[in-house]
Order: sequence, then structure tokens, then C-alpha cells
Amino acid sequence: MMFQWILIAFSVFAIGKVLKQYRSQKISLHSFLIWALFWIGVVLVALRPSATDEIAELVGVERGADLIVYLSIVFLFYAVYRLLGRMEEQRREITKLTREIAVREAKKKDS
Amino acid sequence: MRIVAIIPAYNEEQRVKAAAEDAACFVDTVVVVDDCSGDATFDRALEAGAHVLRHVVNRGQGAALQTGTEYALRELGADVIVHFDADGQMQGEEIQKVVAPILSGEADVVLGTRFSKEVPKVKMPLVRRVTLFLGLLFTRVVSGIKVSDTHNGFRALSKEAAEEVVITLDRMAHASEILDLIRAKKLRYTEVPVTIRYSEETLQKGQSSLNSLKIVKDFIKGQFWG
Repeated sequence: MMFQWILIAFSVFAIGKVLKQYRSQKISLHSFLIWALFWIGVVLVALRPSATDEIAELVGVERGADLIVYLSIVFLFYAVYRLLGRMEEQRREITKLTREIAVREAKKKDS
Repeated sequence: MRIVAIIPAYNEEQRVKAAAEDAACFVDTVVVVDDCSGDATFDRALEAGAHVLRHVVNRGQGAALQTGTEYALRELGADVIVHFDADGQMQGEEIQKVVAPILSGEADVVLGTRFSKEVPKVKMPLVRRVTLFLGLLFTRVVSGIKVSDTHNGFRALSKEAAEEVVITLDRMAHASEILDLIRAKKLRYTEVPVTIRYSEETLQKGQSSLNSLKIVKDFIKGQFWG
């Protein structure tokens, strides 16, 4: 029981945080909705854990807890993939910036 | 025809001046790209009379070559680009040989090769020979291009080819990327035998054979997120 309440409290806190970020325009409406939905989902699961079992059964997984672990792994893999892609993009941008500075500040002996 | 040599240099204060001066005898302009060296590479290159560009952050040889190429095309109006090394392994006099097929209009890209029947076999450590052979195999399978030496830094590109071959892989995988682009852009290429002099010193400074794994990794990464 205790764990459920902690989870709910944390979710409410997280939703508040996301809302604040959205209001100060730090994140887009798109990511606000995704995160809000995610945390609302967490609250719902915390309130009624047996619901995950029902969903799990629907998709052919034995236990709700297992389903959550599976989904988490898939989500994490995807997140890592996106992150690596973003890093690659940044690497290219840094190179471009470095190149631009180098070309602009090219030197010759007499200049 | 304006021929410009691009020399990427990283911590080459001992050798870059000689290499730039050597190349300068056979081209119109030498461009040295100092890839954020911690030594006096920049000043030595200036003394050699080259145009010197400096990367404020180290980005690797591929990035340095691309920087030099963009400068040569945009600011110098280059007609032919030559890739040359800073460490004195290459001979400036061979530049004429390497650019010849471009000047005569036979090819868009000329690749230097260490393995040719026309030149005597170079002395090369066995490990390096094996590594280069594996690289050859990899390139043949992945890029589908048949060359005898995939990682030779001695090249020449016509202006049109240089505009098409945009290097995006910053580090050593650029050599494979160039071959890939040659095929993708359907450029005419040819190989010209060149002499590469290995010395104790340059072997130490040059790529370790283990680095070839890193090249493969970078290349695959480039295919995924490119």
C-alpha cells in the first residue's frame, strides 16, 4: 500500500513539474501531453494495479508486472537510439561550427 | 588550372613545414588545416607560406580535409584539390603524377595506391599489411568499389568531384566514405601508384592497426544516423 501512495505522490509532483515547464514554454505542447499522459497512466496503475494484469492478458503476457518491464525495455531502447542519433547530429553541428570559424579566420604569412 | 593541396595536421610541428614546402613546389596554393594541435603546428605551417586554418576544437582528419576543401573551393577558386599528408610520408613530386588524369580529363578522382605492379613492394610491417587487406575486403563488400588501397591519403579531386564528395565522417572512416561517395555519385576514378615512406617515427604517430576497428565502427554509425 505504502508503495502505491509514494508512486501517486511522485506522479502528481511530476505532472506539476511538466505543467510548469510547459507554462514557461520550455517544452512543446506535444511533449507536455506525452509526459502528462504517461504520469496519469502511472497514477491509474497505482490506484488499480490489477488493471495491468487484465491488459497483460489481453496482449498475451502472463502478468501485468512483466508487461510493464517489457514495455519499459522497449521504451528505453528507443530512447537510447534517439539519444545516439541526437548526439550524432550534434557532432555534425559542432564540426560545421568549427569549420566556419576556421574558414573565416584563415591566415597567411603576410596577412 | 588552380591546384590546391590540403594538408590536415595534428601535432606535426616537427614535420608540417617540410611537408608544406615540399607540396608547394608542385601546386599553386597549400592549405594547412591545424586540427587544434597542442604544439606549434600552426606557426610552422605559416612559416612554410601556406594558408593556415585552425579548428578550435579537434574534429579529426576527415573533418580537417573537408574544412580545407571548402576553403579551397569557396575562397581560392580551386580547380583541382590534392589531399596530402603532414608527416612527410608522401613525396611532393608525385603530385604531378596524381593530378595528371584530372588535368587530362580522364578521371574525376585519383586515388594513390601503395600496391601496384609498377612500383617495387614497399617495406611495410606485416600487421599493417594484414590490416590494410582486411580494410580492402570490407570496402569491397560494403562500398562495392574495387580499389587496391582503401586507406591511402594521397588523392586528387576535380572541382566538380570535390563539390560532390562531402565528407561527413570526421575521423578516420572518411577514407571509406570517400570511396562510397565515388560510387554513389558515379564519379570516374583511377588509381596511381605512389611511394609512401614509412619511418619508425611516423609509424608510431600514424594509426595503430587496432584503429581499423574504430574506423569500421564510425563507418557503420555513419550509415545508421547519416
